[in-house]
Amino acid sequence: MTKWYRENAPITAENLTDEWMRLKRGSVTRRHFLGVTGLGLAAAVLARQPGLFNSAAYAGDLGTTMSLATWPNYHDPATFEAFTAATGVAVEVNVFGSNEEMLAKLQAGGTGWDLFVPTNYTISTYVKLGLIDPLDMSKLPAFSQATESARFTSEGAIDGTTYALPKNWGTTGMAVNTAKIKTKLTSWKDFFEVAMTEADGRAMVHDYQLTTIGNALVSLGYSFNSIKPEELAKAEELLIKVKPHLYGINSDYQPGMRATDAWMTMCWTNDGAQLNRDMPEIAYILGTDGGEIWTDFYAIPKSAANKPAGYALLDYLMTPENAVKEHIANGAPTTDSRVLALLPADVTSNKIVYPDEASLTKLEFGAAVTLTDPARAELMARFKSA
Amino acid sequence: MPLTPDRKRQLVTAALVAPAGLWLFVFLVLPFMAMVVFSFGERAPEGGYQAAFTFAQFANLPSRAAAFWNTMMIAPVGAFLCLIVAYPVAYYLAIKSNPKYRLVLVSLVVVPFWTSLLVRTYAWMYILGSRGIPNLLGMIGIEDVRLLNTPGAVLLGIVYGYLPLMIMPIYVSLEKLDRRLLEASADLGAKPVSTFFGITLPLSLPGVMTGVALVTILLLGEYLIPQLLGGGKVFFIGNALVDLFLQSRNWPFGSAIAVTLVVVVVIVLSVAMRVAWKVSGSRQVDLV
Amino acid sequence: MRALVTFVYLFLYAPIALVVLFSFNAGRSASEFTGFSTMWYGKALGNTFLITALQNSLMIAFTSAVLAAVFGTMAALGMQRLSARGRAIFDGLFAAAIVIPGVVIGIATLVALVEVFSFLNPALASIWPGDKPPQLGLGYGSIIAAHGLFSLALVTMIVKARIASLGRDIVEASSDLYATPFTTFRQIVLPQILPSVLAGFLLAFTFSFDDFIVAFFVAGSKTTLPIYVFASIRRGVTPEINAIATMVLVASLLMILIARVLMRDKTTKAHAGE
Repeated sequence: MTKWYRENAPITAENLTDEWMRLKRGSVTRRHFLGVTGLGLAAAVLARQPGLFNSAAYAGDLGTTMSLATWPNYHDPATFEAFTAATGVAVEVNVFGSNEEMLAKLQAGGTGWDLFVPTNYTISTYVKLGLIDPLDMSKLPAFSQATESARFTSEGAIDGTTYALPKNWGTTGMAVNTAKIKTKLTSWKDFFEVAMTEADGRAMVHDYQLTTIGNALVSLGYSFNSIKPEELAKAEELLIKVKPHLYGINSDYQPGMRATDAWMTMCWTNDGAQLNRDMPEIAYILGTDGGEIWTDFYAIPKSAANKPAGYALLDYLMTPENAVKEHIANGAPTTDSRVLALLPADVTSNKIVYPDEASLTKLEFGAAVTLTDPARAELMARFKSA
Repeated sequence: MPLTPDRKRQLVTAALVAPAGLWLFVFLVLPFMAMVVFSFGERAPEGGYQAAFTFAQFANLPSRAAAFWNTMMIAPVGAFLCLIVAYPVAYYLAIKSNPKYRLVLVSLVVVPFWTSLLVRTYAWMYILGSRGIPNLLGMIGIEDVRLLNTPGAVLLGIVYGYLPLMIMPIYVSLEKLDRRLLEASADLGAKPVSTFFGITLPLSLPGVMTGVALVTILLLGEYLIPQLLGGGKVFFIGNALVDLFLQSRNWPFGSAIAVTLVVVVVIVLSVAMRVAWKVSGSRQVDLV
Repeated sequence: MRALVTFVYLFLYAPIALVVLFSFNAGRSASEFTGFSTMWYGKALGNTFLITALQNSLMIAFTSAVLAAVFGTMAALGMQRLSARGRAIFDGLFAAAIVIPGVVIGIATLVALVEVFSFLNPALASIWPGDKPPQLGLGYGSIIAAHGLFSLALVTMIVKARIASLGRDIVEASSDLYATPFTTFRQIVLPQILPSVLAGFLLAFTFSFDDFIVAFFVAGSKTTLPIYVFASIRRGVTPEINAIATMVLVASLLMILIARVLMRDKTTKAHAGE
């Protein structure tokens, strides 16, 4: 199933005639013939309409549609178009604003997702709740464990079983429109102060407990992952004080930043890189007082309706030639040295995407306990409804 | 065995109401009972529901007091603004407009209902966002106006979304009004203003009450407009509910809030009906 | 006054005009007009997910409205034959179905169905002869059920009001002339209530087609058009959505027009017959 593009290697004229005769004799199926000769790929590219013509070629058991749950602005749309052209499987993309939202959907049952993008600290909970399957690595030949950076990818495996493969790592910093805000921000403490003064009515925080509460904690000198009641109470006090000054509470902040409705926001690496690429006045800054470092993974829900397609897309995305295009478009740093080698110099030298090691030392990975901690969930809800 | 006519009549009646009765029972009564049961339960450690018997969820209601307060304030204000805009339109349509075009004009009020409210609200996100009205204001020298994600934007969205629902009942009540009354009043030398306050307005009050009650009740459960035009900052109970089920996964607390919301709706409705009876002097109030 | 009314109409139609305008945008964004093009109509019609969502919405709206029209009319006819007490119970339940906010209906249905499924699925699996027992879950059925609830109440209310305004004497006259109850129903009652049944059906269809919040909770893996649009707003809307919205608007305008023409035909005939 997942080998189809390997089979599409160039074919010699003799081979072609040979195969053609075998097809005529009836000793090979049409599917085999199309696969071997590469005609399948050509046909698939021609027939953009999924399932119209090409499905018989090789995508038979992949179905015609699949569903992916991911984050806003996280992929190159061209990736899915290419995948559809190659396999006949159209990819439905659903975006979410927080890991909680993804978990809530999976817990309520019947999401229909065949592949989704959870963050490092959530994987142990998904496994514990039996919501994701161990990955069948034989279906993912394009993945290479040896070239992955263990620093970022260790949480994908639990007790030696791989449940998730890394998509990219990244940081949570702040994006600041320097044409509008003259103060130089360097820390989360600055972020919350400027949000109440110079950026009054123009600052955004995520609709996501981990980063919004976490960064408020950091600004007060506590750990990003704290669940200590007295520290959370201080963070709540700060957030409630800031709230009347905010522009919005929303994890999809790119539209607001691009329209300059919002002037600064909590921001993930990839969004920071995309915003800075199109609007150089938007700077991406890591807090000197701390913040989050993370890895997003791909995992396949137990309830997936079309697992073959989920595996096919995952393997497609793990192929360095495909992944490199994703990384150029999305702007998040890769965990795979094969991909790093293929990336152009202007990406690898981009300090937003690959910051100096020194600026990362204070950052923390999210902790699993924050995902299910009722106190943090309630704090976020009280903050939003205040 | 031959059926007696009485027995037969009963069977036919039962057969007629059975499907609706079953539907109401399975998809209204049972779910509501399940929700009440859930509201006495506990949140499971990873979220969801876990059986228990506790009043903790109801005791925690004050933590959403702000959302309740927002909703209880903005819903009537929204309904009132709707009324202020809707009444002149309904009055014009029913009394002043050329009867030849009346039907077309009335239809035009309803037509927006046929485009997705979501798409129309999205259009407002554009109009109120930096590239819309603030951009135009910038051209005449008023810089950096912010309209989106404010209570004002939410109110505007409410008036926009619910206006047809307010215009229609008022129009219907004004249209039923006997025009000879107005002529008689004018013949007797009453000024138009006193005719309006003496005759037209009192007679259209049932329609006004229906409209206000309808819009207020629908607003109590609103989610989309505050979500899209309030930027997650203007929070209704509907938004709190969605968050509890789709973010913090606290099903028991969500159920307790939902039960409370239903109680609030019933109270608002019964107060509105009582006022309507007093005003109209009859016990006939059409809600649909 | 006229100016004010004109302004209100502008207010009602400006956003719609904007939606239609941007459906012809040549650029990718639904907020910056870069040139005239009809390409988004092609894209929309070629987008499997958008088309599936549209088909789902049409199917769900049609099914729930038909069921509501049939069962609601039956209930309206049956209710007047019930005892006062039975009638009060039904009246109360129908009123509840209408005034309880959609968000609560969605939650209650979700909570109840998840509970029922978690009980039924293992039971079903234990008695299933094959090795692949069916898994009950949220989907078309749950959306139709939840939409149908509101629609059912709507149709019943409307038809009941119509029946109440019918004279009882015409029905009695019919039975005095030895017509069977069924004949009376078919020839006397049905033609009189049919317009209200149709009105109820149309309202129910519109409600279901535009509903977001109820479906948001109970749709499971299924996508309706409003759910798709909501997801698109989060993802960044392309003019594709504007294109589909424009097509839906034009289709519904055509429907209203056809309905008007048909109704006018009917009423002129009815008047001629009088």
